[in-house]
Amino acid sequence: MIIKGGIVYDPANGIFGEEMDICIENGRIAEDAGGEVIDARGLLVMPGGVDAHSHIAGPKLNTGRIMRPDDSRMGTEPRTRVCRPSTGYTVPNCYAIGYRYARLGYTTAFEAATPIIEARHTHEELEEIPIVDKGALTLFGSNWTVMECVRDNDLGRLAAYVAWGLRAARGYGVKIVNPGGGEAWGFGSNVKSVHDPVPHFDVTPAQIIRALAEVNERLRLPHSIHLHFNNLGRPGNYTTAIETLELLKDIKPSRMRQVVHVAHMQFSAYGGTGWKDFESKASVIADYFNQTNHATMDLGQIIFGPATTMTADAPLEYANARIGHQKWSNHDIELEESSGVVPWVYMRKMPVNAVQWAIGLELALLTRDPWKVVMTTDHPNGGPFVNYPEIISLLMSREKREEEMKTLHEVVRSRSTLPSIERELDWSEIVIMTRAAPARILGLEDKGHLGIGADADVSIYNIKPEEIDPSKDHAEVKAGMSRAKYTIKGGVVVVRDGEIVAAPQGRTYWVDAAVPESEMDRMLSALKEKFERYYSIRMSNYMVQDAYLSNPFVVRAGVQPLKEVI
Amino acid sequence: MRTITIKLPEHRGVPVEAERISADVLAGLTIKEISEIEVWHGNRRLPLSKIFLISGDPDPDKPEETRIVLEGDLSKVKRLGEGMSSGVMEIIGDAGMHAGNSMRGGMLHIKGDAGDWLGREMRGGRIIVEGNAGNYAGAGYRGERCGMRGGEIVIKGNAGAFLGEHLCGGSIEVMGDAGDFPGCANQGGVIRIHGHAHLPGAEMVKGSITAGSAHVLPSFACEGTVELGGLTYKKYIGDLVENGKGELYVASGQIGK
Repeated sequence: MIIKGGIVYDPANGIFGEEMDICIENGRIAEDAGGEVIDARGLLVMPGGVDAHSHIAGPKLNTGRIMRPDDSRMGTEPRTRVCRPSTGYTVPNCYAIGYRYARLGYTTAFEAATPIIEARHTHEELEEIPIVDKGALTLFGSNWTVMECVRDNDLGRLAAYVAWGLRAARGYGVKIVNPGGGEAWGFGSNVKSVHDPVPHFDVTPAQIIRALAEVNERLRLPHSIHLHFNNLGRPGNYTTAIETLELLKDIKPSRMRQVVHVAHMQFSAYGGTGWKDFESKASVIADYFNQTNHATMDLGQIIFGPATTMTADAPLEYANARIGHQKWSNHDIELEESSGVVPWVYMRKMPVNAVQWAIGLELALLTRDPWKVVMTTDHPNGGPFVNYPEIISLLMSREKREEEMKTLHEVVRSRSTLPSIERELDWSEIVIMTRAAPARILGLEDKGHLGIGADADVSIYNIKPEEIDPSKDHAEVKAGMSRAKYTIKGGVVVVRDGEIVAAPQGRTYWVDAAVPESEMDRMLSALKEKFERYYSIRMSNYMVQDAYLSNPFVVRAGVQPLKEVI
Repeated sequence: MRTITIKLPEHRGVPVEAERISADVLAGLTIKEISEIEVWHGNRRLPLSKIFLISGDPDPDKPEETRIVLEGDLSKVKRLGEGMSSGVMEIIGDAGMHAGNSMRGGMLHIKGDAGDWLGREMRGGRIIVEGNAGNYAGAGYRGERCGMRGGEIVIKGNAGAFLGEHLCGGSIEVMGDAGDFPGCANQGGVIRIHGHAHLPGAEMVKGSITAGSAHVLPSFACEGTVELGGLTYKKYIGDLVENGKGELYVASGQIGK
């Protein structure tokens, strides 16, 4: 296949809007190729989109679907010759997730939080998401074994547990959510700072985070730790954010990447002492990111309208349910986590929501290096991912931001710096934030770029970058980005003129990390006891079997072959 | 006024999804065009004329000048008058589920019984049912936080369970009895039940419910008696479980009888 005459943006390879042909052979980008010719003359061409933080699979999704039949009504699409029926807006069914990502030109999406014990369900749902390549991050932040290893300062055993846990969950990386808070919530409380000890474990969130970060590098995992801060969603939490990032400054990355990826930064960039004097501290956070090089972030931009919040931060969800007088699902996940699901609506005239909206945009615009920023909505916490084109048009047009601000509560002008920000992102920066940076941050070497040998994931939009001025023509940008002219996934045209024309099965990425046998044996003997005493299921039924991943892509890490367990 | 008559010659066991039968859709069409409109009959699409006998004034008119008369046993014909904003629709016989749902204006007159979900999430207009109504009349659909927001429903017979659940505005009047939990989670609408109401106003926070007699929940506080239209009512405030400020008035006998 040859894509002819497109205006190509491939910033990872130093290509910033050049007219060139792209050749695809056997699912990869090649030097030359024959076969089908796609006429992309003058059109915007870029690598397929990569979503590094999205909630797309697992029991919490089903909880959201079950508690929100009202949401199901918002996104029904009948089946077609190729597609199965779609439902839902904030919590779409599995099929809709795949089709909608593909229509946006996205070809990869990572589920951001799965407890090991629930990973089988996560993979069952990932299997049903068509087209996109996917993976799931595994939760370790409030896990008993993790906290015991941290308390005993036994990083060898912790490394063995993380490697085993990733294998058990067929997981891709280490996710940490409100570390220690999930355990404290089992006793009706929370941890209030990074130095607040977790009940019964005599460890602090700071110790958990540092230990997992060190182990992450010891195991040479492709992705860094992926961190949801303590105190997320609370006024004044920007100090917790900076304090936490400071903890990780001296850790040496084992690969060419960050040592910590901050999830949905928007929710942790809040000033004020309460909701009344709530204000943006995005500029302080962005300054911190500008002065340091060990951290990256995704935005967690909010979108006005309905959302469904779902997180392993169970105490936060309790607060949400109370504030919003909403339906509330709370879940205690044995020795590993707790979690919650609460429907939400972000409103333009609500002062807090207006400021939250500004914070996401400020973070993207004030952080100078786009390689440190991934555009997300923390789907569906800040709003559904189908709204990414809205965010792109906001980031590219000050005029659009001004128009939007006129419809919001007036505090957006006094409690954020957004009105004074002139920066308008260009196509290269957008491609970095939606493709190149998330791929590099996740450690996906063959994604996010169009170099020879890269996965042939390409999106082509009905936008002529040489004729359009995104600053003024923001409506065209939004419309064009909403329906890809072509999405090519692994060399197969899956979207043509905004319609799904093929729905192949994507791959599931997971990381198999090796640790010394002696460490693994030591860890397992202690772990067996946990299963016998506390878990509701047996260790032999715990691991996700290979049968649950029909199209796996295993990334090797660690130091030596992992001993076969069980 | 233009009249369009749509007759169902035989009872249909398989449901028909008739959301396109409303003045808004049909007014601008000739009788021939109306005959060609497709509706779902079970899992198949059929033109209207394959199911119904259609007659009436042939030429298009404005929706507000259009009267649609439906005849026959329409108890399996669903979503009649969905989203209608003007005109008159008369159903001579029983109507199926979801009649008049999301209605914004105009008048829907059902001369038999109505199925479940009558006028659910209605915004405006008027629905009159000569017979009984099923469950969830004027309610919100599954999971919604708001049911009917405006307009008026009058049910001359009895209503089923969950009458006006999550009612956010508008008014409902029932001449007979209401089933379980009428006005459940009422957010500000008015319900008037002439007969008996079983456990009215659970989780109600605003609005009012009047009943001829009622089995009142223990989470309502009695504030004494009031005179309304020459009758004596016990006044309750609730639902206290929700810190509600809803008003519940219960007469000892049946209102107006």
